[in-house]
Amino acid sequence: MSFSESFRQNFLEADRWKYLADGLLTTLEITVFAVLLGMVLGFLVAIVRCTYIKTGKLRPLDLLCRLYLTVIRGTPVVVQLLIIYFVIFASVPISKTFVAVIAFGINSGAYVAEIVRGGIMAVDNGQFEAGRSLGLSYRRTMMYIILPQALRTVLPALANECIVLLKETSVAGYIAIADLTKGGDIIRSQTFSPFLPLISVAVIYLVIVMFLTYLVGKLERRLAVNERR
Amino acid sequence: MITRRIACMFVAVAMAGAMLTSCGTPENTVHSIDDLKGKTIGVQIGTTGDTLAGDIEDGKVEKYNKYSDAVQALKQGKVDAVIIDKDTADVFVSKNDDIELLSEGFADEAYAIAINLDNAELQTQINGALAALEKDGTLKAIKDSYDGENGGERYKSPEGADRSRGVLVMATNAEFPPYESREGDDFVGIDVDMMNAVCDKLGYQLKIDDMAFDSVIPAVQSGKADVGVAGLSVTEDRKKNVLFSDEYTVTHLVVMVRK
Repeated sequence: MSFSESFRQNFLEADRWKYLADGLLTTLEITVFAVLLGMVLGFLVAIVRCTYIKTGKLRPLDLLCRLYLTVIRGTPVVVQLLIIYFVIFASVPISKTFVAVIAFGINSGAYVAEIVRGGIMAVDNGQFEAGRSLGLSYRRTMMYIILPQALRTVLPALANECIVLLKETSVAGYIAIADLTKGGDIIRSQTFSPFLPLISVAVIYLVIVMFLTYLVGKLERRLAVNERR
Repeated sequence: MITRRIACMFVAVAMAGAMLTSCGTPENTVHSIDDLKGKTIGVQIGTTGDTLAGDIEDGKVEKYNKYSDAVQALKQGKVDAVIIDKDTADVFVSKNDDIELLSEGFADEAYAIAINLDNAELQTQINGALAALEKDGTLKAIKDSYDGENGGERYKSPEGADRSRGVLVMATNAEFPPYESREGDDFVGIDVDMMNAVCDKLGYQLKIDDMAFDSVIPAVQSGKADVGVAGLSVTEDRKKNVLFSDEYTVTHLVVMVRK
């Protein structure tokens, strides 16, 4: 079969390109909301853990956070997704995209938490002591002195986490979500030709990731401007 | 004090979980094939049920990777019906008391063995073997042996069977009882025993390659497998991509719903 014929069969016939277009939208939708959820969760968990490490307060919450980190980082994301869909939301009528956002968001939150905690702990303790001796409360020291400095160190790592998350959503097809990967699979199951659907799915992911990587690079350069050496 | 707070938190989480899981599943709304209009229908990706469900008016098709996932979703009320092959549906129904089949069949089909387009010689060989097995009653005996509790003796290869022609690789998806499934480390099922019998007749050694259902035909096409035997229904679209042997089972699709 010639390339143009194969292209016609895989994308134009029966409007099959729509599987990829719709799938891409679903993938982006899941990724964006999961990233937001992951960031919120991750920052909360990181602050709880750092507060415990620095001051010894919030011990019960710290234990809970450590349990969360252990469970989420110790199990594969596909398994978490299936558990959330088939066990936790067993008989609740709920949108599958929402389930995916929750699953990937909770998963990503654990990794974000460790990145942010690393960033906070990397800020010299002298900064913290300086803030406290100037009479700022713990919370204000955290908000105005520590977090802004930590954020600059962790931003590139956080952006990388978004890239990882985007690719991880490719397992959403397990719960019959028609995301980008599944869109390619659907075309493959109808045309029986593996080459074009798989390659085009890969290229689409690659283009998005390259674009994100470009943005991260730009961000890193801008952050470096303020760096005093 | 602290431990009590943690304990309270766990109890709360567990209770919330229990509440979510124990909510009643929605009442079945599909009582005939006409009722499928506008409903959410679960299928396995790449099956004939998948293709036909796409033609249902206003229907929303959920394409699961496995029939077992689609049936699970049906039981939990995530889909309204599942379109599935009759014999496999019977196995699911026998193991779950909260689902049943509509009495009217959905579409007639026939299973055949898929062979690479360039291998007409193997097609002729397999057709010859199938005809011989049909004639001497082996095929019927194999099918009967998987008929639930009252199944007879399973097929066994004769002692010292000829293996001179080497290995024949069979692509299948071993999640489709009674045609193919796993029993411990072994593959069992009508397709498996039938192919063993075919290989015994032709002088091949059977090797089974278990994969996703929608990979079976591509595996045959690309030459990774010699034959695809996975309860494959013969369709015009598939005929453009692989050769089919003579049909060995005539069956139909059914609609599975909650009780």
